[in-house]
Amino acid sequence: MIKIKKLRRDDSLGPLESVLFLDFIKGLTITMKNLLRKPITTQYPKEKITPPKRFRGKHGHFVYDGQEPPSLKAIEGFMSFEKGKSRCVACYMCQTACPMPTLFRIEAVQMPDGTKKVVRFDMNLLNCLFCGLCVDACPVECLTMSDIHEMAVYRRSQAVIHIDDMEKIGATNATVVRNLPDRIWRDDKERETLWGKVKWNF
Amino acid sequence: MNDIIFTAIVTAIKILVVLAVTLGLGAYLTWYERKFAGHLQARRGPTVVGPFGLLQPLADGLKLMTKAPIIPRGIDIKLYYMAIMMALVPAIMLFAVVPFGPSFKILGHEVKPIVANLNIAILYVFAMGSMAAYGTLFAGWASNSKYAFIGSLRKAALIVSYEVVLGFAALSVILLAGSMNVFDIVNAQIKSGVWYILYQPVSFILFLFCLLAESGRVPFDIQEAEAELVTGYNVEYGGMKFGIFPLAEWYLNVLALCAIASVLYFGGWAGPHIFGPFSGFIWFLAKTFGLLFFVLWVHWTLPRYQAKDVVEFAWKYLLPISIINLIGTAFFIYFKG
Repeated sequence: MIKIKKLRRDDSLGPLESVLFLDFIKGLTITMKNLLRKPITTQYPKEKITPPKRFRGKHGHFVYDGQEPPSLKAIEGFMSFEKGKSRCVACYMCQTACPMPTLFRIEAVQMPDGTKKVVRFDMNLLNCLFCGLCVDACPVECLTMSDIHEMAVYRRSQAVIHIDDMEKIGATNATVVRNLPDRIWRDDKERETLWGKVKWNF
Repeated sequence: MNDIIFTAIVTAIKILVVLAVTLGLGAYLTWYERKFAGHLQARRGPTVVGPFGLLQPLADGLKLMTKAPIIPRGIDIKLYYMAIMMALVPAIMLFAVVPFGPSFKILGHEVKPIVANLNIAILYVFAMGSMAAYGTLFAGWASNSKYAFIGSLRKAALIVSYEVVLGFAALSVILLAGSMNVFDIVNAQIKSGVWYILYQPVSFILFLFCLLAESGRVPFDIQEAEAELVTGYNVEYGGMKFGIFPLAEWYLNVLALCAIASVLYFGGWAGPHIFGPFSGFIWFLAKTFGLLFFVLWVHWTLPRYQAKDVVEFAWKYLLPISIINLIGTAFFIYFKG
């Protein structure tokens, strides 16, 4: 038998509380404390808080630049990579892991010398829910997520990102994010000047 | 003859000054309230338009005036437009009996800084407070919308219950002062050297509740409960037609009632003469704005009561307390005074 603890709202105030409006005064002190405090908000378009390292933003592709993991080294010979271009191997693992697989459009062709070349890697970010499963699924550490979160566009077609966009993001923002130390905020000092000392309840 | 002309000119000037000051203040109180509310919630409030967002009321006014005039289908168009004036006029007319300071002399004539020195000023305040309900009621009725109608009905119930309490609460002060004239009330306090809040703390708290209820402030803003009724009675109005309602109810009404409360309980312009000739005016404004600050503070702190609770609270608790307080005051004056 499961015991259920019943919680009842005690809606009758004590005689002292109801006469002296003690509950009102409690609330009023809290707001007065806030009034004397510094605002904790940031003026968004003027000042922007840097997202943390694990932030899941716009997708990027890491490029073929000699820092590949061993998994890629094994099949390198079968791919026609170029320096500074995406290191995607078109394994469709990202699409398989994705909860909304139709947002990917991946195409690869066989070159005359028998190697494989990725010619298309489109992602429709309007369908994306930024869960990051595709990043975890990537066997060659190619697909990644950057800290870009301002992704508003004027047309639906602009929300589809292509392989060259992702290469650019991978070379710039995603590389910066990758080299950060792993902590919640990129710059704790800057954050503390805005929001005050941070207390963690671990 | 000369006297009549002088009085006419002075009264015209007084009306112009009061109108300009109150409407300007009403507009700028929106800025003050937004800023204050922001800081109470550790935000910044308006900052973009002008320094410290000071031009925000002008921008808001401009925006409201350039809105397309949308008139909903099926409305009672005469009442729809009349309700705006019915809401605004009583709120402004409340300022007619607000004494802004002690009387002074210009060219050998005694000038009182009040538009109409009525001998039933407090009664007039109650009357205008009740009149303000018609604006709300007509707005709700004419809009042909269930939200607006429910909101206006709630407001009517609120005004009916709280006017009674307001009357009884202020009556004990009138008993003490022996007059309904605002000048006499203030002079009685100056003469006795004690502000009536010390004699009548219970009455003051009741008055404060009624002030919050009459002007539709939290915790009694059931007539425009945003969560249930969108914004209640003014939901079908747009543009400046909409802007008038909060201006009248939230700002002008509150300001006038705060001024009346400072006359009744805080001795009006009484205070040490430390600011020279303007001392009285400054004290009066300081008291009024202190009360206003408190009202805004309460507004942005407390949650809202349920509609039935508000009316129940007035009839079951506030009214008996105010009657007991009144009878006690009457006995005190009869035997001691």
